[in-house]
Amino acid sequence: MSCSRLQLTLAILKPDVTARPHIVKEIKSMILRKKFYFVESKKMKLAQSEIETFYKEHEGKFFHNRLVNFMNSGSIWAHILAREDCIKEWRKLMGPTKVLKTVFEEPNSIRGKFGLTDTRNCTHGSDSEETAKREIKLFFPEFDEEKWRANDEDYFINKKVKFDRKLNVHVPMKDS
Amino acid sequence: MSLKLYTSALTQLRKLLSLSERISGREYASGWKKRTLKREKIKETVIRYVGVNAVRTQRVYLWGCSATGALGIQQFLRPNRLQKPKLKVPYPTRLKYMNEYDFEIYDIACGYGFSIFAVKKSKQHYLLATGINTDSQIGFHEEPKNSGRLLDYVIAPLPISLPLNEPELTQFKSIACGRAHTVILTQDNTVYSLGNNSYGQCGRGIVQDEVYSKSSRVNVLTDLPDNIVKVECGSDHTLFLTKTGEVYSCGLGADGQTGLGMYNNQGTPLKLEGDIQKEKIVSVASKGDCVLAVSKKGEVFGWGNSEYNQLSMVTEETQVNVPRHLPIAKDCGRIIQVAAGGSICAVLNEHGEVYVWGYGILGKGLQVDMSLMPTKIPQALFGESELLPNIKVTNIICGLNHFVALTDKGDVYTWGKDKDGSLGLGECKNQFFPLRVALPAEAKSIYCGVDHTVTLCRSFC
Repeated sequence: MSCSRLQLTLAILKPDVTARPHIVKEIKSMILRKKFYFVESKKMKLAQSEIETFYKEHEGKFFHNRLVNFMNSGSIWAHILAREDCIKEWRKLMGPTKVLKTVFEEPNSIRGKFGLTDTRNCTHGSDSEETAKREIKLFFPEFDEEKWRANDEDYFINKKVKFDRKLNVHVPMKDS
Repeated sequence: MSLKLYTSALTQLRKLLSLSERISGREYASGWKKRTLKREKIKETVIRYVGVNAVRTQRVYLWGCSATGALGIQQFLRPNRLQKPKLKVPYPTRLKYMNEYDFEIYDIACGYGFSIFAVKKSKQHYLLATGINTDSQIGFHEEPKNSGRLLDYVIAPLPISLPLNEPELTQFKSIACGRAHTVILTQDNTVYSLGNNSYGQCGRGIVQDEVYSKSSRVNVLTDLPDNIVKVECGSDHTLFLTKTGEVYSCGLGADGQTGLGMYNNQGTPLKLEGDIQKEKIVSVASKGDCVLAVSKKGEVFGWGNSEYNQLSMVTEETQVNVPRHLPIAKDCGRIIQVAAGGSICAVLNEHGEVYVWGYGILGKGLQVDMSLMPTKIPQALFGESELLPNIKVTNIICGLNHFVALTDKGDVYTWGKDKDGSLGLGECKNQFFPLRVALPAEAKSIYCGVDHTVTLCRSFC
């Protein structure tokens, strides 16, 4: 089948929303409404060292310390999302980082709706294909992109997938 | 509005009219005067059917996001058949629970999605809590008992059990709630804390990878002096105020909001220095990451986050980790109260006037504002007019992006960003200047969280 490839991105729900199941539920339905596919999902707690490597690009900036602190404060939801133009679309759905501005400028984005302050800004998304690859590897070391592209991607492109609410992922309907 | 108010308005009007008559020299009433007097007279005759034994009783009205259960009204989330759950309540609703069980409320605290009520019932004191409990911020609730079913959401008030020496006889002096923690000060000057401690905001050492949900842990803070009079919570930090006017703090310090001269998290409370060292601080306020404090002399001090110019009158930095004196008293008069939200700040002076600055909907016009210096909100916006002169604001508080003000007439005014109906103005729309909330009672005190507001009122009759 010769369709355009799907793009993958890493989406993280940060500790402030993960501690609020009703907001997590609402964000998930927002993601589904925008026609994203959940490839992998898991709830996890990061170790301090993992967060430091994750935010290496921000090292030296004034908000680096509070970002690390915040990510260390509770468990998070990590997702691999798939869609055409996924990285850009996910960042659009998230809204800009500066939450206290976003609540006025883009009130319908995830951060505009559920964000509290610039630090407690609900979500994270990769900013380019390379970072997405690197971050997915960090959070889902067991996920093999090559294998997924070979075996499952076609099902996602042809919409032969079903959302499994228990696992929080789209499962390919292989037997049909 | 009460009967007295109308009468005084009418006398005012009569005075005004007789004055204009004297000036114009006319002796007969003009058509306008006749009409106005007639209209006012109709207004004056208020008919109420009140029982002989009726007394003014305490009422609680609340509004905002009810998805968390913070409003304590079960019917919103578990409605009857044919009704849909209500997740946002953008208008004042009465919490009947307190009247039904004869509880007299004397203090309330609101956090992010939960509320706590300090109540009294025939000399017995209880702490009732409702709302989200995913970090055990409102205690350990197993319902039904011994079933192993622990509640993550409490949707109607339940008592918090504290390890007190004399439970039910100890009065609660001050309670405060943050984003996911609660701090309680009792009459015997002991401070208790519950909930998330990942930054040390509960006043104890940080334990890596501690699980806070479904925990029954209540901490007693032992490192504090024994003259604490008030506790106050920011988002993830805690401030303690002593009788002598000293401030202690603990918790998240990444923006300098602990004011301890560093950007690290602090587990045990330490005393603040800097510009407040020789001052007697009487009140502190913080909802987000910026802190404002006011001294007995009426001077204002601030520390913490300044990314949105909250403290830019004294510094260019975006983070301030020691208390700094803010030179605003010469423009604003003697300050008696402060309010600090996410990016908005407000002060109230002794004349009952409100000054605002920061970034957001400040209440000065149809725009999202950025203001470096305090600007006054005209008293007319709080209902002052020729017929109703000398309106004073008596209390100003704020959420992260909205303000709530109480006037001496018992009216509540709200303005700012409407998060899930937290303004209580009937629709979920941003409000760009103070607007009165349609409360069917006289408000006595106001409390607000991030997305809900609670008012303690007295019924009109």
